[in-house]
Amino acid sequence: MEFVYFLIETLVKVVVVFAVVLLSVAYMTLAERKVLGHIQVRYGPNRVGPFGLLQPIADGLKALFKEEVIPEKADKVVYVIAPMIPMICALSIFSVIPFGESVKVLGREVKLCIAEVDIGLLFVFAMASLGEYGIVLGGWSSYNKYGLMGALRAAAQMVSYELALGLTVLGVLMVSGTLNLVEIVRQQIEGHWFILYQPFAFVLFLICMFAEINRTPFDMPEAESELACGFNIEYSAMKFAMFFMAEYTHLLAACSLATVLFLGGWDGPWLPPGLSWIWFVLKVAVLAFFCIWVRGTYPRLRYDQIMKFGWKVLIPLALANVFFTGLFMSL
Amino acid sequence: MWDLNAAEVLKAKFPEAIIGVEESRGEISVRVKAPELLKVCQFLKEDPTMKFDMLVDLCGVDYPEREDRFEVVYLLHSMERNRRLRLKVALREGERVPSVQGVWKAANWLEREAYDMFGIRFEGHPDLRRILTWDGFEGHPLRKDYPVEGPEEFRLPEEPPDWKPPSWFLGQEGEGRYMIVNMGPQHPSTHGVLRVVLKLEGEQIVDALPVIGHLHRGVEKLAETMTYHKAQTLTDRLDYTAAFSNNLAYMLTVEKLFGVEPPKRAQYIRVMLAEFSRLASHLLWLATHALDIGAMTVFFYAFRERETVLEIVEEISGARLTPSFLRIGGVAKDLPQGIEERIEQFLDELPSRIKEYEDLLSKNVIWLRRTKGIGVLRAEDAINYGVTGPVLRGSGVKWDVRKAFPYSSYEEFDFEVPVGESGDTYDRYLVRLEEMRQSARIIRQALKKIRETEPGNILIRDPYLSPPPKEEVMRKPHALMRHFKFFSEGPSPAPGEAYMSVEGPKGELGWYLVSDGSPKPYRFRVRPPCFLNLQALPEMVKGHLVADIVAVIGSVDIVLGEIDR
Repeated sequence: MEFVYFLIETLVKVVVVFAVVLLSVAYMTLAERKVLGHIQVRYGPNRVGPFGLLQPIADGLKALFKEEVIPEKADKVVYVIAPMIPMICALSIFSVIPFGESVKVLGREVKLCIAEVDIGLLFVFAMASLGEYGIVLGGWSSYNKYGLMGALRAAAQMVSYELALGLTVLGVLMVSGTLNLVEIVRQQIEGHWFILYQPFAFVLFLICMFAEINRTPFDMPEAESELACGFNIEYSAMKFAMFFMAEYTHLLAACSLATVLFLGGWDGPWLPPGLSWIWFVLKVAVLAFFCIWVRGTYPRLRYDQIMKFGWKVLIPLALANVFFTGLFMSL
Repeated sequence: MWDLNAAEVLKAKFPEAIIGVEESRGEISVRVKAPELLKVCQFLKEDPTMKFDMLVDLCGVDYPEREDRFEVVYLLHSMERNRRLRLKVALREGERVPSVQGVWKAANWLEREAYDMFGIRFEGHPDLRRILTWDGFEGHPLRKDYPVEGPEEFRLPEEPPDWKPPSWFLGQEGEGRYMIVNMGPQHPSTHGVLRVVLKLEGEQIVDALPVIGHLHRGVEKLAETMTYHKAQTLTDRLDYTAAFSNNLAYMLTVEKLFGVEPPKRAQYIRVMLAEFSRLASHLLWLATHALDIGAMTVFFYAFRERETVLEIVEEISGARLTPSFLRIGGVAKDLPQGIEERIEQFLDELPSRIKEYEDLLSKNVIWLRRTKGIGVLRAEDAINYGVTGPVLRGSGVKWDVRKAFPYSSYEEFDFEVPVGESGDTYDRYLVRLEEMRQSARIIRQALKKIRETEPGNILIRDPYLSPPPKEEVMRKPHALMRHFKFFSEGPSPAPGEAYMSVEGPKGELGWYLVSDGSPKPYRFRVRPPCFLNLQALPEMVKGHLVADIVAVIGSVDIVLGEIDR
C-alpha cells in the first residue's frame, strides 16, 4: 500500500512541477520581453490580453500552427530528434531540485522535491551536458553552414565552460561534503548560506552559467548578428519553439541551482514551512531578472575571446578557489 | 580648388599625350590620349609636385553622335595640396583604355561599373566583370541607345547568375581546405542586400568578396529622362538614411550649372538640415552597429533620438525620409513657427543622450575587445581606395569637404574635424560620436544665423529658375503660362559640366552633371561614398574572424541604396 501512495505522490509532484515549470518558462519569455522593453525605453508586448499577459499563449499557438519546413538535404531523423533533447534534459534537471520544506498532506510527509538523490548535483551536470547535444546535432543535421558553425561553437563552448562550472561548484561540495541537493540546503539552513563561504565561487558560477545557457554576452552558438541564429537557423514552427523553450527552461534550472547551492534554497524568515517555497521562487526570480538585465546591458563577446576567457581566466580562478577553500578548511 | 597649373605642367611634359585643356565653370579638365593614359596617371600620382594620391571618381559618358563615342572621366584629388584635376579620355566603340587600378586601387570597382554600364573595356584590369547588373545581362544600360524601359524582350535568368564566385577567389589548390560561406544578400547584419562571400579557414577569414547590385534601380538612367527639378526626388532614395545630404549635393551641382547662388537664409537652412541628416544617419549607424555587436539597448536609445530628429525634419520639410526640399536657388519653404524652440530643446538634450551611449559602450570592456584593433585601415590604403568621410578620418587623415572646399557658407561656421589614430573600428566609432556633437554645435550656430536674416528670403527671384507664386498663377495669365512652362519643360542650363560635392554623413557625396543645353541632365553621375568605402572591406577583414566582419561592415556604415543606385 505504501508503494501505491508513493507512486501517486510522485506522479502528482511530477505533474505539478512540470506544469509549473512549463508555465514559468512561457511567462519567462514574456518577462524577458517586458523587462528588456522597459530597459530599452519601450513597452514590450502589451496587445494580447491585459498587459500582454496572453502573449506567450498566442506565441505558442502560432508556433503550433506554423508550417514545418525540413531542409531537403537534412539528416531527417536527427533533425527531428534534436530539438527534443535539450528540452527533455532541461526539464529533467528539475526532478532533483528541492524547492521547499516538507509539507504534511493527508497525514503524509511530502518532500517538495520529486526525487531526493544522493548524486543530485552530478545528475544536474550530466543532464545539462547532455542537453548541449541537441544543439550540436540540430546544427549539424540541418545541412547549413551557419548551423554547422553554431554547432561547432556550441561544442567548444560546452567543453570549456562545463569544466569551469564544475570547478566552481567543487568549492561548495568541499564545504558541504555532499552531492545531495536537499542535504546542501539543509546545511545552509542550519548554518549560513554558502554564498558567505564561497562568494568568489558564486560570481564565477554566474559567469559560467551565462555561457552554459548560451545567453548574452556568451550567446555564441546563436549569435544572430553574424550566424543569423546559428544552430537553429533551419528550424521552424514547434521545433524552433522547442529550442527556444529549452533555453528558458535551462535558464530557470540554472537559476534554481544557483539558489540551491549558494542562496540557501528555500531558507528565509517569516514564512511558515508550508510556504517556504515562496522564498525559493523569489530568489530564482531575482536571478532570472539579473540574467535579463545583463542581456540589456552588454554586447556580445567574440568566439575566440570567450574561449580565451574560459580557459585562461575562469578555470585558473576556479582552481584557485578550490585550492584556497581546501587551505582554509585544513587550517 | 582646381589645378590649372598641373594641367599646364602636363601639357609641357607630355605634349604627345595631351590633346588639350578645357575649362567649364571653373573646372579644369585635361584631355588625354587613351594609349598614354597610364603614363600620365603614374606621373600625376608619383611626382612630388603633383601628388594626386586619390581617385575620387571615374565614370563614363556616352555621346553616340561623336566618332569617339565614349568618354571616360577621371576625377583626381591631391590630399596634400588640396587640389583637383579632371582627366578625360575619348574612346571609339570597341577601343580599349588602360586600366588605372594599378595606380589607384579605387579604380577597380569604378572601372567595373563603367564596363557594366557602358561596355568600355579596360586593358589590364584583373577582374573585369559586371558589378551592378549580373553576368549574362544583355546590353549596357547607360548607353544612350539602351531604352529606359528596358529591351522589349527581357528575361530574368533562371538561376542566380553570380552564384559561383570567380575562380580567382576560390583559388586553385584544394577547394576543400576552405569553407565558402555566403553572407547575404539576406542576412541580418549586412545592412541591406549586400552579399559578402567569405573564404573561411575555421572561423578565420582568408578572403572576402563583396557582391553588390541587388538593389540596382538604374537611378542614373532614370534621371536622364527627368527635368532638373524632378530628378531631385530620385536623390532622396539613394542614401535614404540621410536624404537631405543627397538633395544638397545634387542641388549645389545644378546651381553651379545654372550659375546661381541661393540667398543666405536658404544657405543656413540648408546647413542646418544637412547637419540634421548627419545626426539622423549617425544615430542609425550607432544603433545598428551596436546591435551587430550585440548591444541591444543602444539600438533603442539611438532610435529614440533619431525619432526626434526625423520629427523636426518632417516639421520643416514635410517628410521624414524623402524631403526633396530644395529648389534651384533656395529651399521650398521657410521654417515653420515654433520650430526653433523645439530644435533648441533637442540640442540641449542631445549631449546627455550621447553621454548615455558612451556610458554603455565607450569604456565597456566587451565593446573595447570587439572593436579595438579590428578592421584596421591604414591612412595610405584609405586614400588609395578613395575612402572618404568618417572612415578616412578614423584612419587619421584630417580631411573634410566642409573644410577643404566649403559650400553653402560652411566657411562661416566654427566646428572641429575629429580624427582617429589607428584606423580601427573603435576609432571610427569615436570619430562619429564626436561628429554628432559637432553637428549639434553647427545647428546651434545655424539657428543663430537664421535668426539674423530676413524671414521669407529663401529663394532667388529669377523668373526663369523658379515658378511663380501660386496666388499669381490663379489670377494672372502670364504667371499661369510661366507656371505651365516651368513644370512641363523646366529650365535648361548652358551646355557644359559641373561637379560639386558635400561632406555627406558617409563621405564625399558628389554629383557630376553634364548638360547638353536641354532641360534634362545629359549625364547624371553620383559619386557614392559607400561604394568606394565598401571596396576597402576585404582589406580590412582579412585575417579576422567571422564575428569581426559584422563589426567592420557596421563601422564602415554602408547604405545599399546608394551603393547600387
